[in-house]
Amino acid sequence: MNHRRSAEGAPYSNPYLTGAGLGLVLLAAFVVMGRGLGASGAFASSAAGAVAIVSPDRAHASSLFAGYLSADGGPWLEWLIFEIVGVSIGGVLSAWLAGRLHFEVERGPRISRRSRLFSAFAGGGVMGLGAVLARGCTSGQALTGGALLSVGSWLFMIGAFAAAYIVAPFVRRAWL
Amino acid sequence: MSSNDNDRLVRRLGILAAALALAAVFAGSPYAAQHGQIDVAALAHAVAHEDDHVDAIELAGWIKDRRSDLRVIDVRSREEYDSYHVPTAEHVLLDALATTPFRAGETIVVYSEGGAHAAQAWVFLRARGYDKVFFLRGGLYEWLDQVMSPGLSANAPAKDSAAFKPIAELSRYFGGVPQARAEGPSSTSSLVLKVRRRGC
Amino acid sequence: MRAPFFEFGAFGNYGALLAAVFIGVAFGWCLERAGMGSARKLAGQFYLTDLTVFKVMFSAIITAMLGAFWLGRLGFLDLSRVYVPETFLMPQLVGGLVFGVGFVIGGLCPGTSCVAAATGRGDGAMLLGGMFTGVLLTGLVFRPLEHFYMSTSRGAFTVPQLLHVPYGVGVAIVVSVGLAGFRVAEMVERRSATSQVS
Repeated sequence: MNHRRSAEGAPYSNPYLTGAGLGLVLLAAFVVMGRGLGASGAFASSAAGAVAIVSPDRAHASSLFAGYLSADGGPWLEWLIFEIVGVSIGGVLSAWLAGRLHFEVERGPRISRRSRLFSAFAGGGVMGLGAVLARGCTSGQALTGGALLSVGSWLFMIGAFAAAYIVAPFVRRAWL
Repeated sequence: MSSNDNDRLVRRLGILAAALALAAVFAGSPYAAQHGQIDVAALAHAVAHEDDHVDAIELAGWIKDRRSDLRVIDVRSREEYDSYHVPTAEHVLLDALATTPFRAGETIVVYSEGGAHAAQAWVFLRARGYDKVFFLRGGLYEWLDQVMSPGLSANAPAKDSAAFKPIAELSRYFGGVPQARAEGPSSTSSLVLKVRRRGC
Repeated sequence: MRAPFFEFGAFGNYGALLAAVFIGVAFGWCLERAGMGSARKLAGQFYLTDLTVFKVMFSAIITAMLGAFWLGRLGFLDLSRVYVPETFLMPQLVGGLVFGVGFVIGGLCPGTSCVAAATGRGDGAMLLGGMFTGVLLTGLVFRPLEHFYMSTSRGAFTVPQLLHVPYGVGVAIVVSVGLAGFRVAEMVERRSATSQVS
């Protein structure tokens, strides 16, 4: 079943053309900033900032957080945080114009709302660990590193897809 | 745009991509020829005012502080790098330095075994336009001597002992062994033996 | 003006943050347009019912990769000043595997979860919270992971360097895999659709 449209609203756009558009955005980032896109870095930087507010010692004790804390401008003036704010705005804009803006808990037909919310949280937590280890996620590693032919990024992509396909049968009930 | 128009456009873009990819095979390197700019006066000034290098203790402090803008570059061979390298150092061969990307605000510290290659790398990187570039003048030997096995002579005055304390602490942070030395050459650690070569 | 503009001093840090917002808006727009803010759509990739994830991702990679190559080759973009994510073989492979597990359970990735949450999807918001928590906890217990985290580093290491082929050959390989993949994806989706109907 091809989810061509959302529950309400206009059908989604052609994936190849939208993907090419996304590629042009990534290319623009290369040309304007000399860097690519990302997402998980925003989480890491804000986590570092949050911990630093509560306990500066704990924050500096973690070499992961310390890096973000000692960055130019500190953990909150992180490029990726600003970018991800933009991502949210862009998403809302697109959804609004397409009539896809509404409250919903997206889930498969055989899973309850509560279970879905729980598994979303759990899945996010696991991805958090993975993204830290890999220094990125699908945006920073797969897209950006992939386009720049980085070996580590392609390893990440292959690993992520492989693991997802292997685990998929076990969580079938959540989606189908 | 109808679905058919979309498909036609997608097909054409696919052909375009294939053509560009095929041409890329024969197009040579996408990296621009690296014509650096050597401002001789500026470089000479930096050298004369000792703004071109750092000592191992200073570098050790920067690494310990986990400075996020710091890049430590080891230009020796792969085998030498794998055998031992300064913690957090990255391995980049000298000729790769012509195209290795560094971010605008980064502080780059280059080292080689003895310092000569690192000094050359300093010129290359400055010519490429990076301004916060330094090298370890005494090379890896300086690191091993000053950080991994720093010595304080047994008869040192109190002032020197006090100054040595933070150095000893820094050394231990990196797994080094501060030593109280009797007069005479410092003991040769196994690390130095590992590194010693016809050096550059 | 030479590119990357920021690397050659066209604007400073505040300009960079402003650029981040604009670039982000375009990024989020494209993601939502393609339906990547929908967890069910994304999950379809792993049940072979909806391969939009693959199509969007590879279309983006191919476009940006060809663009970067040719802008570099034509001298407009100094490719050596574009930041290539450093390679850490084991942590990135393992990190990828772990990430994939979380991805198929959660149905969204960090970027798309922001789109989902912002457009009203409660599951997106929960996933976002989970991600933040996961990163937070990982950061707090980071010491034992540190050695593994820093292992097997190769610096900025590209596939052409790995295979000892010219950069353009690496580009051609990825484009070929992508285009072939698109063909296969269309076939798989069609077959999946008919098997659903029958």
